[in-house]
Amino acid sequence: MSETGVIHDIGYQRYTGPRLGRGAGIGALYVHGLRAAFGLGRSAKAKIFPWLVAGIALLVAVIIAAIKSQFPEITFSYVDLDNQLSFMIIFFSAILAPTLVSRDLRSNTLPLYFSRPLRAADYVAAKFLAMVTAVWLLLGVPQFIMFLGAAFTTKTGMKGVWHEVQDLVPAWGYSLLWALLFAGIGLLIASLTGKQAFAAGGIVAVFLMTTPVVAVLAQLPSSAANHMAGLASPITLINGVGSYLLGSKIGLDIGRYGPIFVIEAFCLIAACLLLLLARYRKVSAL
Amino acid sequence: MSTVAMITARGLFGRRRALMLVPLPLLLIGLAALCKSFDVEPTNWGQPVIEGLGFAVVLPVIALIVGTGVLGSEIDDGTLVHILTKPLPRRDIILAKYLVAAVVTAITTMIPLYVVGLLAGSAELAAALAVAAIVGSFAYTALFVLLSLLTRRPVLLGLVYILIWEGLLGRWVSGTRVLSIEQYVITIADKIEPTTILTGQVSVTTAAVMSAVFVIVSTIVAINRLGSFSLAGETS
Repeated sequence: MSETGVIHDIGYQRYTGPRLGRGAGIGALYVHGLRAAFGLGRSAKAKIFPWLVAGIALLVAVIIAAIKSQFPEITFSYVDLDNQLSFMIIFFSAILAPTLVSRDLRSNTLPLYFSRPLRAADYVAAKFLAMVTAVWLLLGVPQFIMFLGAAFTTKTGMKGVWHEVQDLVPAWGYSLLWALLFAGIGLLIASLTGKQAFAAGGIVAVFLMTTPVVAVLAQLPSSAANHMAGLASPITLINGVGSYLLGSKIGLDIGRYGPIFVIEAFCLIAACLLLLLARYRKVSAL
Repeated sequence: MSTVAMITARGLFGRRRALMLVPLPLLLIGLAALCKSFDVEPTNWGQPVIEGLGFAVVLPVIALIVGTGVLGSEIDDGTLVHILTKPLPRRDIILAKYLVAAVVTAITTMIPLYVVGLLAGSAELAAALAVAAIVGSFAYTALFVLLSLLTRRPVLLGLVYILIWEGLLGRWVSGTRVLSIEQYVITIADKIEPTTILTGQVSVTTAAVMSAVFVIVSTIVAINRLGSFSLAGETS
């Protein structure tokens, strides 16, 4: 029992070492986001779904590489892989976006982040880049496996390899477009709710419900409406941009409206990012 | 039991959450009305709207949101403890929650599909679609209520079922259609009012029996699971 109120000096000290600035904060958030995307550093349960999707994508690439090396007449380009995996990409972004942003809302970590030098824009940029990288890896690595398969079995030596490289690089760009668009829309939806379950359901609902709209618009008795039907859904929007810029047929007749597809894709990504910034301008502690 | 049902209904409709159920049915009706106003033949737009949007997206997604919401959100919030500690048989809790979920799903999917059916053809087609939607609602919600008890990530597992099992495999591997609720629903609607719009891929007996099996087995397993339910912390 102390008889008088004495404040003891128990040796608390100020931190006097070097302080890392915003750049380090963004870097740390980015690395953490990318690791969390694939469940690294988290429980085994968190690894199931991301690696299920990644495993299927890798398996498909290996199978296609094997088939193509045996039967060279089969035409399955790098771009086709992205289109065939579109359902897996929807599912992957439904897993990813809630893990990246909804968990921070639910566990109230945002006020802690923003009490650092980190700004809202930095947070959004780090999360967006992490998700873009993750989705791009999901598509780019299988494409690279297909490339390896084609490069090692080519019959025309270095010329054949160079030919494959010329096919691969635009396809990587196409995958980047998928990643940018899906990351933007996915993060925007997920940032509205702290419940991972609702965020995942909302993302899938948005991507799935826009697809039949395209099929319906393609039936309308107007050729302009038919050519621009693809604008209604993110997936067909990407297909349209791809067939305009890469000049390949991706199963969608866009007529002479190619530039509109490019403009809409750009505006959509920009709008998602701006809305995300607006969303994080003010965060409540609870 | 009625109190549990009331709490569940309030949990579903209270706050802004109920608004999530509005846009999908509205989109369904809007698309059908758009096609009708342009005088497109129903045989052309019926398939993408009714099957592609109605039965493949609206019905399962609403059932997923509602079905995993009635129990899953209470497990997440930890409020399930209050109901579990009351002297109620676990059977009554599951049945009350399941019925609320199924009825809510049935109402939100039946009405837009009925309207679409009227726009696409006759009152008979509309009634057939509505009946099929009700059957589908009961089967889907039974499955999703069960999923919310089996795993801590019921929505993701439900999405695997909708996207990968029904969406990808159901299209390419015909054998998986026997376990696809979407195919039962299409078959039942096609059988009640045969049109060129819908084509059932499984036999109608399979559809009816398997729907019942989904409802009964899922409910019994769910009752069993809740009987030995242990409360644990949130997964990482």
